[in-house]
Amino acid sequence: MLNSIKPKGRTVFLYLLVPVVFFVFTVFVPLVTAFVYSFFEWKGGPKKTFIGIDNYVQLFHDATFWQSFGHNIYLVIACLIGQIGIAFIMVMIVNSKVVKLKGIHRTFGFFPSTISAVCLGLIWNMIYHNQYGIINWFLRLIGRDDLCKVWLNEPKLVMLLVSIPLIWQYIGYYMVIILSAISSIDTEIFESAEIDGANGVQRALYITLPLIKNTMLVCITLCVAGNMKAFDNIFVMTKGGPGTASMVMAMYGYQISFNQSNMGYGSCISVGIFVLAMLVIGGSQALVKLLTREKEA
Amino acid sequence: MSTHTQAVAKPHPIRKGILTVVLNFICIVFSLTCIFPIIWMFYSSLKEKRVFNADIVGLPKNPTLINYIRILGNSDYHLGESMMNSVRTTGLSIILIVLFSFIVGYILARVRFKLNRPLYVMFLMGMLIPIHSLLVPIYVVFKKCGISDQWYTLLLPYVSFALPMGIFLVEGYVKSIPVSLEEAAAIDGSGFSYTLWHIILPICKPILVTVAIIQIFSCWNEFSFALVLMKNVHLQTVPLALTQFKGQFASDYPKQMAAMLITMSPIVVLYFVFSKQIIEGMVAGAVKG
Repeated sequence: MLNSIKPKGRTVFLYLLVPVVFFVFTVFVPLVTAFVYSFFEWKGGPKKTFIGIDNYVQLFHDATFWQSFGHNIYLVIACLIGQIGIAFIMVMIVNSKVVKLKGIHRTFGFFPSTISAVCLGLIWNMIYHNQYGIINWFLRLIGRDDLCKVWLNEPKLVMLLVSIPLIWQYIGYYMVIILSAISSIDTEIFESAEIDGANGVQRALYITLPLIKNTMLVCITLCVAGNMKAFDNIFVMTKGGPGTASMVMAMYGYQISFNQSNMGYGSCISVGIFVLAMLVIGGSQALVKLLTREKEA
Repeated sequence: MSTHTQAVAKPHPIRKGILTVVLNFICIVFSLTCIFPIIWMFYSSLKEKRVFNADIVGLPKNPTLINYIRILGNSDYHLGESMMNSVRTTGLSIILIVLFSFIVGYILARVRFKLNRPLYVMFLMGMLIPIHSLLVPIYVVFKKCGISDQWYTLLLPYVSFALPMGIFLVEGYVKSIPVSLEEAAAIDGSGFSYTLWHIILPICKPILVTVAIIQIFSCWNEFSFALVLMKNVHLQTVPLALTQFKGQFASDYPKQMAAMLITMSPIVVLYFVFSKQIIEGMVAGAVKG
């Protein structure tokens, strides 16, 4: 090794110092702090009381927390089906030879994913609004005034309604990722399949899908991780309401910590989110790997 | 469309015609739904509240800029201020992200030292950590250190959360550069720093641009950490300002729309001018990261 590639230890140390300190201070210090404070009763004031694992016992029996965890899972599943499923179908359609303006579809489709979740939440609030919303406008237009309602106040519907903007926002994102994976496949494969008499659907399922397996795995990971951290949309659209009908974990942690200023329990929830999110992300990857392996065998 | 494959498939001409129409129709509807909200917002923001409330979907008959004038003319809304804050925060974050990713990525790819792999794993973990579990803890730590609610506060989370992906993209990229290049530089008497800044940096430009593109959008749009860490209205970023704006004008939609369009405009312009590079960059970041 020459000097240029094996510099003095001091030089490397100085170069790395700032980024590493930056990173450790913002990621690992809070993580450890949260873990420590999760054993304290602490209402945000100067007084902290060590209470052992009481917070964790409370968390374990906290129906709202588990309900919000369930909502995170709901979002994950809805978005896996909605975002990646629809994206795959759209890719198959956009990629077919008869479709024109592919570039425009790509540019427009990707566009929503570049807009902030706050803006989109506000826009969808307008769409759902009972008086000035587009949905109710449409219902009135077709003479079904009876179906008009304050959409986001329906506890049974609210999770579906908040997942629609999320799904809509990222269809184009996954569509573009899948498109780029497909464009790297040799077109001869498709041509020979066509000669062998495979129709569009067969080609999609038995040729395209297996060939872009790795990309699909990336998409699934992104989708799962993205929905475990759902917060912005929910905060803007419903703040977890009505009641706790659309509460997600991050939102619940925020409410406990800042609205009730229960920092000790809030820290405990943060640790809970950390553990559960890691488990779900890891679990989903293991599951997908297992499933795809079986298919090959 | 090659004539060769047409001859092979031989679809019925009418069926093929219908299929063409249907598939194109689906795609056009899909594209329209993706941009309809912004178009609706644009022409609705040109209406007065009264006109909008009477007809929410129709085009404005007497377009007016009154909403924009009112919003930008009144400094109580902090819209201009928040735009400046977002520009500063995003700009500085991007500079630091690119700089740090480049330095760390290069060193981890090329320099052998005892802590190389442990550092690599540490940054890898940063990618796996669900950052939203840090929302409350970061607030606690920053409050304690007295660094919340400062102009530089948001740089810390934005840069730190973006670093892992940036580092991995740079690391992978540097590994594809032949080492002989640096060896040749060393023979010519170039030191570590000179090689780093004058030889490697220009080569890494494409990947650094990719990193910057990905992060511009996430920094500009980031909401949750800004919400938790910034209480000072004079320092808040755009998404935060918008949520407060919503509180003030719950029922004045045209005004809200005008405000949103103003704050989106830099991103929208950037996107439609560089859409090809941006899409490519985002895909590269997602797949390799």
